[in-house]
Amino acid sequence: MSGPDTTELMNKLLTGLRLAVTEMMTSMAMSEVVFAGQESAESFTLANEVVGLVRLDGQLHGMVGVSCSQALLREIVSRIVGLAPDELAMEDLLDGAAELANMVCGGMKTKAQIGSVNLSPPVSIVGQEFIAQWKTNRPTTVFTFQMDEGVLIVHASL
Amino acid sequence: MRVLIVDDSSVMRKIVARGLRQAGFKITDILEAGDGQQGMDLLKTDTNFKLILSDWNMPIMDGLNFVKSVRSGPAAIKNIPIVMVTTEGGETKVGAAMEAGANGHIKKPFTPETLQVELERFLK
Repeated sequence: MSGPDTTELMNKLLTGLRLAVTEMMTSMAMSEVVFAGQESAESFTLANEVVGLVRLDGQLHGMVGVSCSQALLREIVSRIVGLAPDELAMEDLLDGAAELANMVCGGMKTKAQIGSVNLSPPVSIVGQEFIAQWKTNRPTTVFTFQMDEGVLIVHASL
Repeated sequence: MRVLIVDDSSVMRKIVARGLRQAGFKITDILEAGDGQQGMDLLKTDTNFKLILSDWNMPIMDGLNFVKSVRSGPAAIKNIPIVMVTTEGGETKVGAAMEAGANGHIKKPFTPETLQVELERFLK
């Protein structure tokens, strides 16, 4: 899928995505977050312990993922729900990864002011160690955010 | 003042509960249900809620069917205000929820300030 309309839509969503991550981490997780870079990758290998994924369809198809270490996820979820990190159960971490992706995508849509893109229910994976390959027809945009407790990666294939 | 949160995500239930308290509402009890069916089961025996906050995408019974079930339920529950708390802010979905009898809609992510503004009319 390409063309001026799609390119414009894609750019709006990517800008919205970047803003949504910063706003969410600041307002909901009360965490300092610094945008640390953006790159475009032809292929992308995910080697973090945690990922939350949301599929996009409608006027534009794609997928957005949020990934980080388990320790960072625990810290973020802990701050968002107001519980100590060691009080969080595995169910909370799985739901946390899913909701993180869900809310980041919701924020992205709101910021981009686009109603013609639908979001799937989120999928989350939390493991000690996994490697997943990100195969798409278009390059993946990878945003890196530096937080006090680690690095948060947000990747979008649109 | 008692509130029921219906959401399949344990984290989101905690986020909403925390947001309600941070927004300053004088809430005595917050009860939780993991999907629309659990919400309906709970409402069979406990009807004393000032407000219900419901997710849209849930297994077993989704938010839209939950709203329809409450609105067609017994007199003790059919008029409890329901506000949808969802990521999907599309006009079609919001329209469908409002048509089914929902009283409002809040988009995730939200802040306690958003909850305060959007829910004040229900939790005065």
